[in-house]
Amino acid sequence: MSAFRLQQLKSHILSDRKITAMSPSPSPLTTHVLNTALGVPGSNMTLRLYQQQPLTTVWHRITTGTTNGDGRCPGLITQEQFKPGVYKLHFETGQYWASMGQTSFYPYVEILFTISDPGQRYHVPLLVSRFSYSTYRGS
Amino acid sequence: MKSVNSKDLQKMAVADSSPLTTHVLNTSDGVPGAKMALSLHRLDTRLMIWSMISVGTTNEDGYCPGLISREAFIPGMYKLRFETGSYWEGLGKTSFYPYVEIVFTIHNPAERFHLPLLMSSFSYSTCRGN
Repeated sequence: MSAFRLQQLKSHILSDRKITAMSPSPSPLTTHVLNTALGVPGSNMTLRLYQQQPLTTVWHRITTGTTNGDGRCPGLITQEQFKPGVYKLHFETGQYWASMGQTSFYPYVEILFTISDPGQRYHVPLLVSRFSYSTYRGS
Repeated sequence: MKSVNSKDLQKMAVADSSPLTTHVLNTSDGVPGAKMALSLHRLDTRLMIWSMISVGTTNEDGYCPGLISREAFIPGMYKLRFETGSYWEGLGKTSFYPYVEIVFTIHNPAERFHLPLLMSSFSYSTCRGN
């Protein structure tokens, strides 16, 4: 059995969802990281998706993942889990720049957003350099 | 020659004294983001909690003078939190973001740091200026 296949099986067993290449149906929530300093996708960046519990306002981690070669991270959430409410995407941007031997003004980037209609598709990209970032709601 | 009254002097003094400044711009309407509540926090690394340094509201030009004093501006991790959701609600619009938090690291507090926020109800951007 290949090391890659072992890794996939291991990630199926772990409690919070880890991203695998085998996610069944497309996630209603997607992201895309772009390195605007170099004009390339922001690949190999760790990110985490949290959902806020409405009554307690406690953050519950839904998914941990790493962006692929295109700067994308498929399988963030399932349609069943995708309830209305407040979510947070946490991008480990500081680690990303450090892995390239560079400092950054932002240790990490967190984007909080409200999902009112889980029937829609939501695209939350992050365009980032060492000293700037931007995001927008896409679909 | 225009005479400068004491209020102008006060405004200039307060605006100049903070080494950290911000500017909120409403890119939907092409106007300053006026009357937006915001707060500045510093991470207490011993307790690993955020402690609030100041709270304010942007003026009609979208600025918020006097965020922090030179003495209080020590190296560390800071957070600017903008109450963007309330801002858009006040204009009768919904927004994708309930609030915006920008977390940044200050290594050399002798420099000046200008952190603008350009936002619409469905997008925002920021950068490090000085």
